Amino acid sequence: MQTTNIIQIENLVKRYQNLVALDHLNLTIHEGEIFGLLGPNGSGKTTAINCLLALLKYDKGTITIFGKNMHPNSYDIKKQIGVVMQNVAVFEQMSVWENIDYFCGLYVKDKTRRKQLVEEAVRFTGLEDFTKMRPKKLSGGLLRRLNIACGIVHKPRLIIMDEPTVAVDPQSRNKILEGIVELNRQGSTIIYTSHYMEEVEQICTRIAIIDHGRVLATGTTEELKQMIKTGETITIEALALEETALAEIRELPHVFDVSYEDQILKVKLGTARHNLVRILNYLQEKDISFGRVFSELPTLNDVFLEITGKELRD
Amino acid sequence: MLHLFKYRFLQTIRNLPVMFWALIFPIILGTFFYLSFGNLGLEGTGESSWDEIKVAVVKEDASSPNARSFEEFLKQMDGELLDIQDISTEAEGLKALNEETVYGIFYVKDTPSLTVGKNGLNESILTSLLDNYNQNAAMFQKIAAAHPENLPEALEAMKDYKNVTSEVSLGGMDLNPNIQYFFALVAYACLSGAFLGVQSSIDSQANISPLGARRSITPTHKLTLVLMDMAVLFIIHFFNILILCLYISKVLKISLGNDIGSLLLVDFMGSMIGVCLGVTIGCLARLSLGLKMGVCVLLTLFPGFLAGLMFGNMKNIIELHCPVVNRINPAAVLSDAFYCMGIYNDTERFTRCLLILAVMSILLLTVAFLGVRRERYDSI
Repeated sequence: MQTTNIIQIENLVKRYQNLVALDHLNLTIHEGEIFGLLGPNGSGKTTAINCLLALLKYDKGTITIFGKNMHPNSYDIKKQIGVVMQNVAVFEQMSVWENIDYFCGLYVKDKTRRKQLVEEAVRFTGLEDFTKMRPKKLSGGLLRRLNIACGIVHKPRLIIMDEPTVAVDPQSRNKILEGIVELNRQGSTIIYTSHYMEEVEQICTRIAIIDHGRVLATGTTEELKQMIKTGETITIEALALEETALAEIRELPHVFDVSYEDQILKVKLGTARHNLVRILNYLQEKDISFGRVFSELPTLNDVFLEITGKELRD
Repeated sequence: MLHLFKYRFLQTIRNLPVMFWALIFPIILGTFFYLSFGNLGLEGTGESSWDEIKVAVVKEDASSPNARSFEEFLKQMDGELLDIQDISTEAEGLKALNEETVYGIFYVKDTPSLTVGKNGLNESILTSLLDNYNQNAAMFQKIAAAHPENLPEALEAMKDYKNVTSEVSLGGMDLNPNIQYFFALVAYACLSGAFLGVQSSIDSQANISPLGARRSITPTHKLTLVLMDMAVLFIIHFFNILILCLYISKVLKISLGNDIGSLLLVDFMGSMIGVCLGVTIGCLARLSLGLKMGVCVLLTLFPGFLAGLMFGNMKNIIELHCPVVNRINPAAVLSDAFYCMGIYNDTERFTRCLLILAVMSILLLTVAFLGVRRERYDSI
């Protein structure tokens, strides 16, 4: 199947005096994707999005959206983009309905069509019972849903969501994630940034890991997991180990990292068959007693940690 | 367009803190003024007696018919509009003027003249009195020369002059001694449009608010958004000022002038200056909303204070010592425009005020527009 590039960012450079926020950033996003942007605070995610939306001046590089260069006056492109900001951006003095209608009106001039779109957005975000309420009266989750409704009401072809689930309770978060997948199913391409690795893993079809303004890795979750050394992490609880035993475990095939703390042994191994059996056999041979045993495949967090050298929430 | 208008209108009039400063606070302040010194006459304002302005009369040459006529005229005014002090020499008169026991010295001579010590309402009335006398005298001379048969009728009409001058200003309105406070209040209220402007400015800029960012990435042209916002705010504030003027004139019964057209024109320009000032403050620097509102309070109350909002004579003191401040202070210019319109009936000065206001409006409108029209920022 042929894929259409909906966004093409080439060699994007953005400097704030001596600080390089984006360092020759390259990114390609295909039509129909839910594309995850992962990166720690200050990695350049939001800067990249602001450049993409032509809100921010940049020093070098090109940005094309739908095959056209993006400028502040690219109104034909802007018409097809919806943005859900990290911070809730609605008018406090207007009701839920009025807010959604206002933002819809900035895209759609026809009143009848607008009414229909607002009704659909209200239904989609489950705000039917709150249309007359002002944002101040809404809970955090409902407010986030209103923020989303304002961003997607005009049924955009491309939706950019910058951490839309921050400070949202798990129930509302699930509803929002289901909504995002549904929007994608209806045909929208979505760029999604989040601090919650499990969310990205759950909904994104492709992910880019960004740090220091550069894309460090891009691919599907599986592709990213294959890029790292860790194939399996084995955790063994309640055992007493001598330094010599630890040294011998380090020498076992495919082991590349061993840590032992509070009588818990953590062994990281490369992808290979019978990793767990080999370690358990060693412990039996040395007559070392142990408690519970876990074997985990690498998570996106492991990928992130290995690629960037830091936890995402650092 | 109508869509943008409707929602910006709703959003603004429902923004109670902003509407409080722009509409309710001036009304409350006006009510306090009225209750504080509304019925106390000039004592309440710190001014001396209104209906009897203390003056000295120095006879330099009382032999000519003109001088005798002027002396007679002053005698008629004594006890009505003037309180002629027992001073006969110029030296005594100047001493009294320095000690501020009199507001002016009338010189009785062939061409009557007046010396005043400072600029103020009483001094302006004395000047107007002399000007009117001179105009009438010239008119009688012309009548006597051209139509001597009509002279008795003209003189009869002149008899009523003191009644007219003692109760009605040159601008044709009832003179209220506290009027200067209300003029300063309306001027201050005009500048309070800044509170409306600040909020709208913040809502328009992507580098200041998320709402600004969201509005900036829509396909609606930034120019359209900004112009619609400003138009709505300007209309709302113009009505705020009209409501205040109606409240002052109809509820408090203090007339602001009978020339409705001029009043609307001054209100129009004042509203525009206020809103543009706010938009400019809103986009000047990346201050928090609270700080910007603080700057607004400062930039509305301080010019109001200089225009006589808290101390009625302030504008006159500034006029005496640093008149340029009164030319560049929008509140003082607005207040002066009301004076010219309602009390002085000074068309030339009124036109000058309007020109200054127009220049200020255009300048602030340009600065405000340049501030908010940006579409791409260096940092967000």
